[in-house]
Amino acid sequence: MTEDERRAYEEQDGREGVERRDFLKILGGSFAAMASGCDLHAPREKIVPYARQIEGQTPGLARWYASTCAGCAAACGVLVKSRDGRPIKMEGNPDHPLSRGGLCARGQATVLDLYDSERLKNPLSAGAAASWASLDAGVEKALAEAKRQGRKVRVLSQTVPSPALDAAVAEFCARHGAERVIYDEPSFAAILEAHRLTRGRAVLPRYRFENARAIASFDADFLGAWLSPVEFTKSWSARRKPDGKMSWHAQFESRMSVTGANADLRAAVKPSDMLATVVELSRLVAERLGRAAPAHVAGKTPVAHEVLRRTAEALAAAHGEALVVSGSSDSAVQRAVNGLNETLGAYGRTVDVAHPSYQRRGETGALDRLIAEMERGEVGALIVFEANPCYDHSRAEAFTAALAKVGALVSLTQRRDETATHAAFVATTPHALETWGDARPAAGVHSLVQPLIEPLYDSRSIIESLLAWSGQAVTAHDYVRGQWLKTVYPRHKGGGSFDAFWDQALERGVVSIDAPAEAHGALRAEALSGLKSARAAAAAGEFELDAYASVAMFDGRQANNPWLQELPDPVTKVTWGNVALFSPADAKRLGVEDGRMVRLSAGTRAIDLPACVQPGQADGVVAAALGYGRPSAGPIAANLPTRKLLPIEVDPPGGADIFPLASGSALSVAVLEQTSALARTQLMDSLTEPFTGRERPIIQEASLEEYRKLAPAEGVPENEAGMWPKHDYKGHKWGMAINLTSCTGCAGCVVACTAENNVPVVGKAEVRKSREMHWIRLDRYYGGDEPETNPTVAFQPMLCQHCDDAPCETVCPVAATTHSTEGLNMQVYNRCVGTRYCANNCPYKVRRFNWFDYAHDDLTQNMVLNPDVTVRTRGVMEKCSFCVQRINSAKFQAAEDGRAVVDGDVTPACAQSCPADAIVFGDMNDPKSRVARTARENHSFRVLEELGVGPSVFYGIKVRNAQVRKS
Amino acid sequence: MSQRTSRSSFGVPARAVAAFVLLLAAVSAHAEASSGSLHDSAMLFIHRCAQCHTVGGGRGVGPDLAGVTSRRDKDWLVGFIQNPDPYLDKDAQAKKLLAEYGDLRMENVHVTKAQAEGLIAFIQSASQTPSPELRSPDEGWHGFSVPGLLIFAVLAAGTLIVSVFGARRDAAVLAVFCAASAYWAFGGWRYFRLPGDQQGHIPPQPIAFSHELHAGRLTISCLYCHGGAQRSDSAGVPPLSVCMNCHVAVRSVSGAKEPSPEIAKIVAAYDASVSSPTARGFAWNRVHHLPDYVHFSHRAHIANNLQCQECHGPVQTMTRMRQAAPLTMGWCINCHRLTPKDAPSHWKRVGGPLDCASCHF
Repeated sequence: MTEDERRAYEEQDGREGVERRDFLKILGGSFAAMASGCDLHAPREKIVPYARQIEGQTPGLARWYASTCAGCAAACGVLVKSRDGRPIKMEGNPDHPLSRGGLCARGQATVLDLYDSERLKNPLSAGAAASWASLDAGVEKALAEAKRQGRKVRVLSQTVPSPALDAAVAEFCARHGAERVIYDEPSFAAILEAHRLTRGRAVLPRYRFENARAIASFDADFLGAWLSPVEFTKSWSARRKPDGKMSWHAQFESRMSVTGANADLRAAVKPSDMLATVVELSRLVAERLGRAAPAHVAGKTPVAHEVLRRTAEALAAAHGEALVVSGSSDSAVQRAVNGLNETLGAYGRTVDVAHPSYQRRGETGALDRLIAEMERGEVGALIVFEANPCYDHSRAEAFTAALAKVGALVSLTQRRDETATHAAFVATTPHALETWGDARPAAGVHSLVQPLIEPLYDSRSIIESLLAWSGQAVTAHDYVRGQWLKTVYPRHKGGGSFDAFWDQALERGVVSIDAPAEAHGALRAEALSGLKSARAAAAAGEFELDAYASVAMFDGRQANNPWLQELPDPVTKVTWGNVALFSPADAKRLGVEDGRMVRLSAGTRAIDLPACVQPGQADGVVAAALGYGRPSAGPIAANLPTRKLLPIEVDPPGGADIFPLASGSALSVAVLEQTSALARTQLMDSLTEPFTGRERPIIQEASLEEYRKLAPAEGVPENEAGMWPKHDYKGHKWGMAINLTSCTGCAGCVVACTAENNVPVVGKAEVRKSREMHWIRLDRYYGGDEPETNPTVAFQPMLCQHCDDAPCETVCPVAATTHSTEGLNMQVYNRCVGTRYCANNCPYKVRRFNWFDYAHDDLTQNMVLNPDVTVRTRGVMEKCSFCVQRINSAKFQAAEDGRAVVDGDVTPACAQSCPADAIVFGDMNDPKSRVARTARENHSFRVLEELGVGPSVFYGIKVRNAQVRKS
Repeated sequence: MSQRTSRSSFGVPARAVAAFVLLLAAVSAHAEASSGSLHDSAMLFIHRCAQCHTVGGGRGVGPDLAGVTSRRDKDWLVGFIQNPDPYLDKDAQAKKLLAEYGDLRMENVHVTKAQAEGLIAFIQSASQTPSPELRSPDEGWHGFSVPGLLIFAVLAAGTLIVSVFGARRDAAVLAVFCAASAYWAFGGWRYFRLPGDQQGHIPPQPIAFSHELHAGRLTISCLYCHGGAQRSDSAGVPPLSVCMNCHVAVRSVSGAKEPSPEIAKIVAAYDASVSSPTARGFAWNRVHHLPDYVHFSHRAHIANNLQCQECHGPVQTMTRMRQAAPLTMGWCINCHRLTPKDAPSHWKRVGGPLDCASCHF
């Protein structure tokens, strides 16, 4: 390290001025002080109790409240943990009929958004702080002015599946003659449009993966970030049981998505070839089922006939239990998919249009029509909420330009985002944990949003603002309650008073009611004729763009969330920014390697991104994640050098905004001179040894046929190679079983662990040095016969294995890492002196070292810290503790109740929120416990068994359904 | 170079010195033990005297005792402390004070002669460092050890001689012993404690709340106010509304006609919280402090039927709350290690977990 670098580190670390000599002086002085009996006292602290006892509130005791996640429009059910009045952790609500206890990475990270110090602290009028009275007066005046001029009033938002909010918007629209515009980006309009054309109603069906025995997906990343990933992961993984019914899944996609990584059969297809592929598959299916073949379309699919034949066979064999989904924004593709689903008898079984989903409602062209109106100067007032139209869609630039002709822009937002910077009035809105609301993600599923904390800043809920501008002074609570009295309560079975119903709904968080089936017509065959792909094939030498919503960043609304910025993409493993993904063949042709900057240009727009080679990607496609490169999201999104969070950061802004290119036109790619090293958390992609070609058994795989031929599993692997005397675990022996067949690699566990265990964020520069701190990581390995063009992918959650004879324990010179009587490998932070011997001796690379005092300067953000877990300081080693705080808490609870700890009392954070239910934790000494049974019966293996360290984590063999079952 | 290699000659003086020091230390320690501890006297003062008296903290119910040892004869003081009634009836000085303090007679605090002498020693010591608040008995310097001084003098002279005439290395060894003896001689050992161990910590509090009155004389259950101890990891300090459960009616200390100014503070703060929803209770000074890397669970210990006093000391006798136990890890582990033979019979489970991760996570 150069002297300059060292100084930069120390300055950013807030430790400038302490030289080595000074340190020694202080050290000597403190010994002297200790010896002479000087008062080396503990910190003098104050205890400030409440003035009044809050009912049910006990200091130090966590309380859980049911609410609804507001991370995206999927509206999963959540349980929020509140400690001493602060919400600190989001977990899935097991009672919610859609998410069923799971929660994705973004949903769990929303709790950190609450404590974002970049949130707006007060409403703004013309960019300056304003009172609510003056803001309301200003908005009323603007609305009156629009009316006087005869100009239109428009209310613009992305989909918010909240009936109460819809009602409030309707009241506002009625009062001001306004019209509501809903858009979604990434758009689902094509699905709605296709259903309007084929069935006469623009509905978004509810996909029932739990009923599907064979699945074909065309560019729908339903296990990653598409529509309702938690719901789909729950349903999908429920049918991936090799011992029971195992579904078969084919994926046709242009890039390697999380869903594609989990598919049994996968083919890389460019977006422009998607229609021809669906139609060809439809033809093969129709042939097998003896139906009329669909109309021919222009173009020929590049997918091998064998692949389509196998898919067609599997789908046809599963007639009535087959499901085809597509994430395409091309209505023609979606219409062809509807036709295929009809042929397969999917409607009513796996595709439910009678009880549809309301998670996306934005229709085709809605935003384009609004921009046209704005450009013509017809819009007098524009109200925007739950959207960021100056950034989050492909025509953001046109929208921003057209704002000049809009009378007044009113933005309801939590932060000074790209849209708010252009707004005449900014009405600050509270975080979902600060306000009342409701959600109806699907027909018959109503959930409540309830506040857990007083608004941190001067804000007013969207419902209250819209009602205030409609001349009604009513609180969000009263309004939501009133709406439920009118709409939900009458259709609720079970009777009882409304008060009792309301209390019960609040307690459970969700209510299921019988929703009448929505009528829809039969398939209109004429809608399936004359299909024409909306995406033209790119000219030779040009590329098609796949601008995708990533697992971590989605559309960029949480761009200032450090947990999500540092969350490695499950497939690319890149953090802190997006990259331009190329297929290996294209990369070779262009001469780019990982980290080489490339310029993507379409017309006059150009974007520079570092390149990254992605095995399995379609040739002729460049893929890049949306949501990065936001200019106004905050210092974290911009990856700025900030002492608040990161120890040192001298890198250009992380990622670039890909929205301007996302309109579908062809791109040209220029390779630049510069490079920008990727901040990547995994550098080895293959388990094949380079010289011997031997496959390392880190992940054990089997096809379903092979798996069924295996002898019934008997017992768990025994440690045969150990060199130490065996431990005698008299009481509990904690262990974990991870089912690799179920695990989809969604990375929900990573954020769950970060939130539970106060895992620090280290920043881009540190990730580049492999100093990321995640206690659990998702290793992703490529394999198979075509590792470059079409690899098989396996995910493996890797955490401290809590070895019986842990190599880390024997090398610690200060006994800071020791073995517990219950099989835990313990890390004692206050004893650790930071030699890092343990990390060097750990075969799993799961120990993390605190190179700095990370991220504890931001007092607002520190409010999210879990008080049950020590915040580690600089120079200390840390690692997964099996959530020992939860183990201890369960023991204390059992002691209080006067009983023994039973199976299911302890659930670590990673297992709780896993949408795939892949992780089981418990007592291995109890033969009846779930974990012991799972480890015994699942053909489990332990990673690096041959070392004889005796890990306590048992991985269930990964089974792929490679066969096509005929029945 | 010759000095560095003269290993055989080095061991002899060092061993001789060590033996000498150990011998004197043993003698001295014995003497210290038999003379009674100032620490015990301080504790006694806090239990029996501090309700009415201060040392340098101004007049309370009774007189400020700062400097009383120079104003009064020692025998007079010992007699008065042991049995005040005859003095208050007959002695002119005592009668004068009685008149001055509103005819409020000092109660018999039932101490032995040795204890009374100890109290006087403590008052004398505390008078030398007067402070507005009664000082913690463990703070301040309580004189030096005579044998220690003797050793120090011998060693210092020896060091000087050896450093001038002998080998520098031997001088260095002697200097270390010299420093150690000085540390001991000037009473350093008495104050030696692990950093963070603040046994005896007795910080001032915003109101003169007495556990002796509430838990001792009125025998209110600990869990009435600190109910969190049963359900939560932290016992909690009661909100004002809990105080007001009784003090809505009780406005004066039993026997007194005038309303208590201390209770008035509670009532005023509570009333203020009516108008302001964000109002907080008093900012109490934390007495028991554990480092952030230790997790202590009250409910786990209460569930095992431990009595509060087993860790917190005789709280029912404490006028002002003080930390009775050292709260060091060694102290914790001593109980966790107890075997059925030694453990109190009322515990449900003998001993506690010894895994690091039971407390450190």
